Amino acid sequence: MMRRYLLFIVLFILFIAEGTIYQVFAPDFRGSDYLFIPRWVFMIIIFAGIYRGRAIGTLHAVIFGVLYDIIFSSVLGIYTFAMGLIAYLFSIAHPFFQRNLVVSISMSIIAVMILEYFVYGFMLLLGYTTVLHEEFLYIRFIPTVIMNLVVIAVLAYPLRKWFYYVNQRAEEQDKFHS
Amino acid sequence: MPSFFSNKRLIFLLVCIIILVALIGYSMSDRRSLTWPEQFVTDSVGWVQSAFSRPAHFVAGFFENVNDMRNLYDENRILKSHLDEYAALQVELNDLRRQNEELKDSLDVSDNLYDYTVRSALVIHRSPDRWNEFVGINKGSQDGIEVNMAVMTSKGLIGKIHQVSPFSSTIQLLSDQARNNRISAFVDADTKINGFIEGIDSETGYLHFTMIDIRAELEEGQLVVTSGLGGVFPDGLPIGEIVSFETDEFGLSQSAYVKPTADFYNIDYVMVIESSAPTLAPEINPEFGEEE
Repeated sequence: MMRRYLLFIVLFILFIAEGTIYQVFAPDFRGSDYLFIPRWVFMIIIFAGIYRGRAIGTLHAVIFGVLYDIIFSSVLGIYTFAMGLIAYLFSIAHPFFQRNLVVSISMSIIAVMILEYFVYGFMLLLGYTTVLHEEFLYIRFIPTVIMNLVVIAVLAYPLRKWFYYVNQRAEEQDKFHS
Repeated sequence: MPSFFSNKRLIFLLVCIIILVALIGYSMSDRRSLTWPEQFVTDSVGWVQSAFSRPAHFVAGFFENVNDMRNLYDENRILKSHLDEYAALQVELNDLRRQNEELKDSLDVSDNLYDYTVRSALVIHRSPDRWNEFVGINKGSQDGIEVNMAVMTSKGLIGKIHQVSPFSSTIQLLSDQARNNRISAFVDADTKINGFIEGIDSETGYLHFTMIDIRAELEEGQLVVTSGLGGVFPDGLPIGEIVSFETDEFGLSQSAYVKPTADFYNIDYVMVIESSAPTLAPEINPEFGEEE
């Protein structure tokens, strides 16, 4: 029972950590000029989408999008829609993506890039920010992408192992039941 | 890839977009209080968050303490030199306070805008995407917190309460860029110079202090404090000091840059200030619920 919800629990803990622990030690509060926005939950959701199928990826994306919207965002719906749609589009459970770790890492990073631009566009459209594109690009976008790339590159291998293990268990159980 | 957007999925996507637009429109409407699902989610997640942020603050505080120890000697010397001044000030303060009370008694004034109640709260989260400057605290309407109350740290004003649910609430910091984030303030000079604190300059980290009377004589280093107009904020909470000023683009008023006294970054405990000054009853007050 626990095993089934393990992905959700891991994502939830990461989600909490992004808003609490990371914020206490956030580099831009400790003298850094650049913004490093953590998108760990989202990247792992993309990974889950690639390795465990579209349904799981999209479901988790929508759940955490709703949480993000309600708790952190000033406008409801933006993260739910963006995370749900991007996770749906990027959850391609094709063996080619699964075998090449580099490909799945770049998929999740591209997803983060699209999410950043999507949210920036909406904030600009709704008048919540006046940040110019150049400032956005250099202060926020590039550092964020680099930070998240490093994190996912470290996490990728253990994540894939874990997802393979979970899939294998599921298959075994199916055989056992049938 | 044809399987991506079959007819059914396209319709589903369109429905999602419609829901998105409706949600955005709904959440952008002014003076919206949290619906019960939102309250439930923020409260239950907030409970977990406070379990996480307590140790994080503790660890961060420990490192700061170690840092502080290094310049302990210099600080001590400066503080000692201040101590003599302090004694003199204390005598003067007591004298003034006594005088003030006597004068008030003779005038039959009982309340003033300086009266306020303070509640302290722990910061439990902060939005990780820096598009807004919202900070969550672990006290809510059950602890008597209401929307629009002033929030400060020991150094000065940091913002106001934005949303309240029973066991947690959200602060909108002064540095938030939203257009409705506006606080009435005045310059603490010989005559009161009124204006509004409106957002922050992202490069310098100074607050915008706008709508100042064109004839007012500003000086660098003057202190800016809350005005207490509007009844929600108490009078005289320190915000910052003026670093530069200029006539604004239309030449009708002046605007200034204010260096905030409070630190908007490393916040662990905050004080929520409830002004207990007498205000008009909500039924007859035409300005009730307005921003300022």
